[in-house]
Amino acid sequence: MRFYEFILKNVWQRKARSALTTIGVAIAVTAVVALVGIADGFERSFRDLYERRGVDLMVVRAGASERLSSSIPQRVGEQIRQLPGVRSVSPGLMDVVSFEEANLTRVPLQGWASDSSLFDELQMQDGRKLEADDDKGVMLGMVLAKNLGKKSGERLEIAGREFTIVGVFECFNVYLNGSAVMLLPVLQTLMDRPGQVTGFEVVLDNAPDKKELIERVRHQINSLHASNGEPWGIEAIPTMDYVKSTSQLQMAKAMAWMTSAIALIIGAVGVLNTMIMSVLERTREIGILRAIGWRRIRVVRLILYESVLLSLVGAGIGIGAAVLMTRALTWWPVVNGLVRGDVAPAVIVQGFLIALAVGLIGGAYPAYRGAHLLPTEALRHE
Amino acid sequence: MSETPLLRTERLCKTYPDGQVNALVEVSLSILRGEYVAIMGASGSGKSSLLNLLGALDRPTSGEVFFEGQPLSGIPDLDRFRARKIGFVFQSFFLLPTLSALENVQVPMFEGLLGARQRVAKARELLKLVGMSHRLHHRPAQLSVGERQRVAIARSLANDPVLLLADEPTGNLDSRTAAEVLNLFAHLHRDKGMTLVLVTHGQEVADRAERVVRMRDGRICGVERIANTMLDAATP
Repeated sequence: MRFYEFILKNVWQRKARSALTTIGVAIAVTAVVALVGIADGFERSFRDLYERRGVDLMVVRAGASERLSSSIPQRVGEQIRQLPGVRSVSPGLMDVVSFEEANLTRVPLQGWASDSSLFDELQMQDGRKLEADDDKGVMLGMVLAKNLGKKSGERLEIAGREFTIVGVFECFNVYLNGSAVMLLPVLQTLMDRPGQVTGFEVVLDNAPDKKELIERVRHQINSLHASNGEPWGIEAIPTMDYVKSTSQLQMAKAMAWMTSAIALIIGAVGVLNTMIMSVLERTREIGILRAIGWRRIRVVRLILYESVLLSLVGAGIGIGAAVLMTRALTWWPVVNGLVRGDVAPAVIVQGFLIALAVGLIGGAYPAYRGAHLLPTEALRHE
Repeated sequence: MSETPLLRTERLCKTYPDGQVNALVEVSLSILRGEYVAIMGASGSGKSSLLNLLGALDRPTSGEVFFEGQPLSGIPDLDRFRARKIGFVFQSFFLLPTLSALENVQVPMFEGLLGARQRVAKARELLKLVGMSHRLHHRPAQLSVGERQRVAIARSLANDPVLLLADEPTGNLDSRTAAEVLNLFAHLHRDKGMTLVLVTHGQEVADRAERVVRMRDGRICGVERIANTMLDAATP
């Protein structure tokens, strides 16, 4: 018999208690991996969207907490385009609408210039892409089309105006899959935001020292002025920082971590409780082990390994459940389009590390207690 | 005899804090290597307290236990000392209920130097020695009380101890099974040269030893040497 077999037997022979502890840890890990995984997937989705097209800088209203709904004048784009090192500037306007009959709220509407490179990222499932004269046309992301029960050629009322769905697209970005896209001037008129955009995506020329170029152009954009000498109040942010600092993402992540922290504490207390009960129940057994010569450190190892084993099995189950749950969420219309169906390997590793910590923390005190039992007293214990 | 005793106690006192009970009062005793000693006395006479101190399971309030001339208070790792030098047999066997006979015997060996296969081989050998080869894979609940005590004796021998300490080893056994266990002790003593110290309150158990130490109220009240013909008659 090996030491680990002894541990496995101990855990296996106390099936009910081991199962309950494992379930407790599994629920905690499911919460962590699912919530953090969803928030992380959301962030990755955004990042991919910009990185795939080589967007180097995002230009938005300086200091706006709700960047996605803030505005800057579209004509700033011309000034940015003139700066040395700038290859292209794509304006974009974003707003949100509700489709109450389909129980959909805060559906993103995207307004793009007809020559925007964003169109290249879309694969048409049905119909065609928007053209320069489509002033009554709209394209729907596949998830939104499904949730609305619409396909190309059908009509759709958006913010009180009737549009024709020219096509349904699929994009690797889940956020866009839940959005509707129309031409920039059409959205500006519809939302009564003439000459306004949410921001610009700036692609720079290739340079040997790209970092330096990004920093230089960034500085130049931040100091652009209107013709009357007033600063525009805009801010150029490197793509990665932009994604990370978007308030909605930050909030989603913070919520995920907070809920996870609560789940973890509950998980750790569960393991602690189980292992303390286990030590109390086995007081005499520990006394025997000590009497026949087991050193304290071996008793510590016995109890810690048992609690870590239970936690890791719980982590395995929890991660499996989280992956299935995240996948299942993509079938739910309300959140669909916001949730990516996969969980990043880094989040899975985090789940295991957290379970390991829960096992060690939950097992530490019981292990200490067990190891410091006096053999003679433990043997008298009934 | 001029040889160093295997065990020697010097004015050993043990007072338990709860109720200030003087369990042992200035007990001085020597036990030679290869000797078979029975410690006899009524309940509360201090015999189990003495056994616990001899086996380094407890520390004396004052006085000293010397093992092969070395004071136990000077041994930094008493757990290791216990694992390597001493085998324990208890009245209630104290086998681990979730493990088979073969596995129970291996438990003390985790502190030894043997690999997993060697542990299994040695456990089989020890169970054969105690006549339990046919019950290797049975759990304690599936064994008779006599069989359980045999497994416990095999376990006590796991790390080749030089000293076997037994606390009322026949206390839970009927007379026939008790006789079998005592025969086994006699065999270990006679054929393996094992030093045995056995605590009992039964005269017939004490009669199997070479020397009987009688205790009353925490003190030694008599030592008698037995010309033991029963030892020679014993078979394992």
